[in-house]
Amino acid sequence: MDEPAIRVTDLHRGYGDFEAVAGVSFEVGAGELFALLGTNGAGKTTTLETLEGFQAASSGTVRVLGHDPYRERRAVRPQIGIMLQEGGFFADLTVAETVGHWRGFTRRPRGRDETLALAGLADRAGVRVRQLSGGQKRRLDLALALLGRPRVLFLDEPTAGMDPEARHATWRIVRDVVAGGTTVLLTTHYLEEAERLADRLAMMHRGRIALTGTVADVLAGHGDRIVFTLPAALPAAALPPLPGGGPPGITVDGGGAVVTYAVTGARLQHALHALLRWADERDLALEGLQARSASLEDVFLRTAEGAAL
Amino acid sequence: MNETTTGLLRVARLDLTLLWRNRNALFTATGLPVMFAVLLAPMRGEQAEGVDVALLQGSGYLGFFLVFAVFMNLVTVFTARREDLTLKRLRGTALADGTILGGSVLLAAVLYLVQALGLLVVLAASFGGRTPADPLLMLTGMVLGAAVFALLALALSGVTPTSEMAQLTAVPIMFLCMMGAGVMFPLQALPQAAQEAARWVPLSPVVEIVRTGYFGQDHFAHGTHPEVGFLGGWAAVARSFAVLAVWLGIGRWLAARWFRWEPRRG
Repeated sequence: MDEPAIRVTDLHRGYGDFEAVAGVSFEVGAGELFALLGTNGAGKTTTLETLEGFQAASSGTVRVLGHDPYRERRAVRPQIGIMLQEGGFFADLTVAETVGHWRGFTRRPRGRDETLALAGLADRAGVRVRQLSGGQKRRLDLALALLGRPRVLFLDEPTAGMDPEARHATWRIVRDVVAGGTTVLLTTHYLEEAERLADRLAMMHRGRIALTGTVADVLAGHGDRIVFTLPAALPAAALPPLPGGGPPGITVDGGGAVVTYAVTGARLQHALHALLRWADERDLALEGLQARSASLEDVFLRTAEGAAL
Repeated sequence: MNETTTGLLRVARLDLTLLWRNRNALFTATGLPVMFAVLLAPMRGEQAEGVDVALLQGSGYLGFFLVFAVFMNLVTVFTARREDLTLKRLRGTALADGTILGGSVLLAAVLYLVQALGLLVVLAASFGGRTPADPLLMLTGMVLGAAVFALLALALSGVTPTSEMAQLTAVPIMFLCMMGAGVMFPLQALPQAAQEAARWVPLSPVVEIVRTGYFGQDHFAHGTHPEVGFLGGWAAVARSFAVLAVWLGIGRWLAARWFRWEPRRG
């Protein structure tokens, strides 16, 4: 079982003159959760739809469980589950009827009630799909994707439009699925989602992978962050240099200016100590002071900015 | 039952549920044929081509009903499902492409055949109709006709932007079939060139085959229609089968070119 569950090699996919995916390669091992991050139009959904077999690659190769998902759809489809970013439901069917009909389209499906319970929709079973909220529709979508106990699960923005409670519930389901041995490829806008769920991730930008690795890999080299509000009387030029820290960045946020130091080389404690001593000597209060490791958001923003230049 | 047959039946069952819930679609597929059949009643009494006008027109409806349950219904179904992305969702299941489309075609064809059967009973009971002279010939013509109009529906759905527009894009073809196929009036009244052109309307060969199978008479011979024997009926409509075969080819080609699973991007 050395064959990865998903293998993408130099994938290109264009529409007319526009190249949505411009040379993407990655592998996802069996039982792994891999997240594709990126801004709108970065090529995440196109990559996913090529893997799902909805679109053919313009060039390069794509393999799911060892098969070409576009040409060998019959071999691949029964083994995968797909949660589309935007897939239609039959609005006139009830939730239970939808699951019931979909069970008929699936080999060895889960039971109807089990599926409804899994999606947390047992109490909505008799409701027409048109009356579900956006978050409930996403949960029904996930339930249909899980109906055939897939070996590989594709989730395109699985928690878009969900409230925090539903989002956490969805994360729990996804974790359980991964614990059961399913390989998951997910795209998301929510960096927290990737941070919490992903074994490995790739950040896409303009059709290419800008960064890839484990969450720790990706964050490494981006340092830690010290953030506080610039005291009102202080000119930005008066801010001190800190050990391991680059020049402070200033962003204007609502009422005040926010100072951010990026600190590299495991010097956070030193840098913080130096900053506090500096502030004490000048009798300054640092409002909103935070010291934390870099988040995916920091990396993401830097990737998006950097590549936009 | 193998997987394909099971899949076809399950998609057809889904379609039946959805048709029942959608009153507009239900009216197009089943209400309109009933209306047309009811409107035959006032035509009773006059003779044309040696039979009652109502019966002649009613026998044409045996083919013409394809336009409602198969053609218009399927154009709407495929257009609406492409636009609301349910075709895409169905395609994300283990079902094969042909099964997804075939299941809808299956239900449409069964609806049509049931309507035709009902009409046969009505024609016999109220319009002096007979039992079909050659049921096998009729059935063959009807099934091939259903295949042609299903392919044309697939093709037309691809160039129909919304399901509301589906009624509009399908209507010209419906009228062409109504006028051109000799359903409403005998084509013998037309000049020779127009008659020849009308025989190439996709519904025409179906009507020719069905009428020949129903009356057991050659419905191309001018004036009186000579009786035909069992094999004679098939021979008399050989050309109709050829025209149907041409339309099957055209339908396949157009469907392959125009049918779309997903909405246009942008």
